[in-house]
Amino acid sequence: MKDTKNENIIFADLYKNETDFLIKETEKKKYVEEFLKSKIPDGKKENWRKFNSKPIFRHKYKLGKKAELDFNTIKSMSFFNPDANRIVLINGFFNEKLSFRKNEEIILTSTKKAKIEYPEIFYSHFRKIKNNDKTFFDALNESFSQDGAFIFVPDNISVKEPIHILHFIISSNGNIFSQTENIIIAGKNSSLKIIHSYHSLSRDFSFNNGRTDIFAGKNSATEYYIFEGEGDTAAHINNINTEQEKNSYLKSNIVTFCGSTVRNNFKIKLNEEHAKTEIEGIYMPDKEQYIDNFVEISHLKSNCESKQLFKGVIDNRAISVFTGKVYVAPGAQKTNSEQSNKNLLLTDYAKAYSRPQLEIYADDVACSHGSTTGQLDDEALFYMRTRGIPEKQAKTMLTSAFLKDIIENISTESYKDYVNFLINGRLKGQNPETLCSVKLCPSCT
Amino acid sequence: MLSIQNLKAEIEGKEILKGINLEVKPGEVHAIMGPNGSGKSTLASVLAGRDIFKVTGGKVIFKGKNLLELSPEERSREGIFLAFQYPVEIPGVSITNFMRAALDQHRIHRGLEPMNASEFLRYMKEKKALVELDAKLEGRSVNVGFSGGEKKKNEVFQMAMLEPDLAILDETDSGLDIDALKVVANGVNKLKTKDNATIVITHYQRLLDYIVPDIIHVLYNGRIVKTGGKELALELEKHGYDEIKKQADKMF
Repeated sequence: MKDTKNENIIFADLYKNETDFLIKETEKKKYVEEFLKSKIPDGKKENWRKFNSKPIFRHKYKLGKKAELDFNTIKSMSFFNPDANRIVLINGFFNEKLSFRKNEEIILTSTKKAKIEYPEIFYSHFRKIKNNDKTFFDALNESFSQDGAFIFVPDNISVKEPIHILHFIISSNGNIFSQTENIIIAGKNSSLKIIHSYHSLSRDFSFNNGRTDIFAGKNSATEYYIFEGEGDTAAHINNINTEQEKNSYLKSNIVTFCGSTVRNNFKIKLNEEHAKTEIEGIYMPDKEQYIDNFVEISHLKSNCESKQLFKGVIDNRAISVFTGKVYVAPGAQKTNSEQSNKNLLLTDYAKAYSRPQLEIYADDVACSHGSTTGQLDDEALFYMRTRGIPEKQAKTMLTSAFLKDIIENISTESYKDYVNFLINGRLKGQNPETLCSVKLCPSCT
Repeated sequence: MLSIQNLKAEIEGKEILKGINLEVKPGEVHAIMGPNGSGKSTLASVLAGRDIFKVTGGKVIFKGKNLLELSPEERSREGIFLAFQYPVEIPGVSITNFMRAALDQHRIHRGLEPMNASEFLRYMKEKKALVELDAKLEGRSVNVGFSGGEKKKNEVFQMAMLEPDLAILDETDSGLDIDALKVVANGVNKLKTKDNATIVITHYQRLLDYIVPDIIHVLYNGRIVKTGGKELALELEKHGYDEIKKQADKMF
C-alpha cells in the first residue's frame, strides 16, 4: 500500500508542467506547501467516518485535457434545453463554443476568464468562504484548480429558465483526473435556478475533485440542482460551500445516481437573519458503490430556518453514509431546523449509516431530527400482490413511492422527468451504467 | 369452485389450522364464524398466499387448480380476492396507479388489452358509484388518511374493480358503524352473481343481517366444528360460543 505522502507528490506532479492556476503566482508556493502536508481523510476522522479512499487511489491518473464534444451528444439529453443559458465544461475546462448565454444582463463564463475580465467581482468572492477543516482534497483543489463555471446574476435580476452547467469527462485512453472551481453569485433581490449535471462518456476510471461556492445575496432566491451520474467508474469529491445573506432562500437538491466513490460535502452558512435553506437529496448506490453525503449547516444569526431531507435506496453490497450536522451559534435564537434521513435497504448486504449531529449554543431554538433505515414494507407488498400486481412491480412501485416527495419538489419538469425516468429504469433492473450515459435518454432516437 | 381438504397450517411452529374441510360452490355465500383466536383470519391469509404461514398438510383446489402452488398475485388473477381486516396504507402510491397496475394484470391474464387512461377512469367511476364510495380518490395514496369506514369501502371498491370469482371478506364489519356497515354490505350484495361465491368471516352475527349466508360454519381451535343454515347464527347470538366450545373440547 502506498502512503499518504506519495499521493501528495503524485498529484502535485500531475501539474508539474501546468500554468494558469486560479491562485496568483505569488501564492503558489504557500498553497503547494500546505497541500504537500495535507492528509487524505480516512474513516478515523470524525467528519469522514466510514470513508475509504483506497478505491480512488487504486488508479493512476492523467490530468484531464481540453477536448471537444459533438453538440448533438449534449442535445440528446432529454432535459437539455438548447435555448437556455448553459456552461459546458469538458475534463474540467470551459468550452466556449458549446456554452451559451441567453440573458445579456448576467455573467456566464469560466472562472479563468472571470478572473481577467471581471477581477473586481471575481476577487470579492474567490476563496472568500473560509474552510477550517481542510483535507487533502480541499488543498488539492485550492492549489491547482485552473477553471470552472462562473455565474453572476446582478441585483434585481430574475433568470426564469434554469441555467445548466454540464460537466463531461471524456477520455480516449487512460484514467482522467480533473477538478473545477465554480463560483455562483446571486445578487440582491435576484432569483435563479441552476442544474449542475455531471456525466462521463468514458469507460476508463475518472476522479473529479470539485468545488462550488455559492453566494446568496440579500432577498435572493436560488434553486441549485445537482445530478451526479458519472457511472460505475467514477470517483467524485464534491465540495459545495454556500453563504447566505439576510432573507435569502437557497434550495439545494442533489441526486447521486451512481459513482464508485462519491463524497458530497455541503457547508452551508446562514450568515444573516431570516435566511432559509432547504437541502434534499436522493442517493442510489448499487454494486459495491459508496455514496457519502455530509451536510453541515451553520446557523450564525437568529431567525434562520434550515431543512434537510435525504433518502437513499441502497442495493447489492453498496454503502451509504449520511451525516447531518447542525450548528447553532451562541445568540442564534429562534432557529428552526429540521433534519430527516431515510434509507431503504434492498438486500441483506447493503449498508446505510446515518449520523445526525446537533451542536446548539442558543436556548430558544427548535431543532428536530429523525432517521429510519429498513426494508420494504412486507405488509404493503403482500397487499399489492393480493390484487394481482407482480412482486417485482410492487417493489418498484413502493421504492419509487419512497422517493416521490423529493422528486416532486423538483420544479423543472423536464429535469424531474429525467430523474424519474432514470430511477424507474434502475428499479426495473436496467443497467445503471448505461442509464447514466447521456446517450440513453427518453427522447433519444 | 373451492375445495379445502384437511388443510393444516402453522406459524413459527405453532399449529393454527388443524384440518379444515370446506366446499364452496358458485353462487354460494358462506359465513365462517368463531371466537377470537380460532383461526378465521389465518384461513383467509393462507388462501390469499401469505407466506408467514406454513402449510403443513392438506389440499386446496380452486377452479381445478392446486391453489397452494400459486403466488399471491397468481391467485388474485385466477379470481381470489381477500378484503383485508386491516387494509394496508401505502404512502406515495396513488389509488389510481395501484388499481391500474392491478387491473392491467387481470386483463392480460384474461387475454384482454389493458384499458387506456380514459376507459380506465370511466370504469373506475362506474365501480365507485356501484359501491357508493363517494370519497375523492384521485391523487390520494392507497388507504392513507382514510377513516375506518372508508378503508372498508375501498376494499369493496377494489373487489368491484377486479370482479373476483371468490371473495373472502375478513372481518369486514370490524370497526364499522351501522351506516357504513350497510353501505359495505350493500356493495357486496350488488356484486353477487350466480357464478361467484363469497366467504364472509366474522365474529358477530350483525353483518349476516345484511349479507345473508347460505351456509354457516363455526371455526374453533383450528377446526370447523359445526356447519348449518343461517339459523345457526341466531343460535350463536343467543347462546354464545360456550356450548359449541364445550362439545368440541370433548371431541378433540
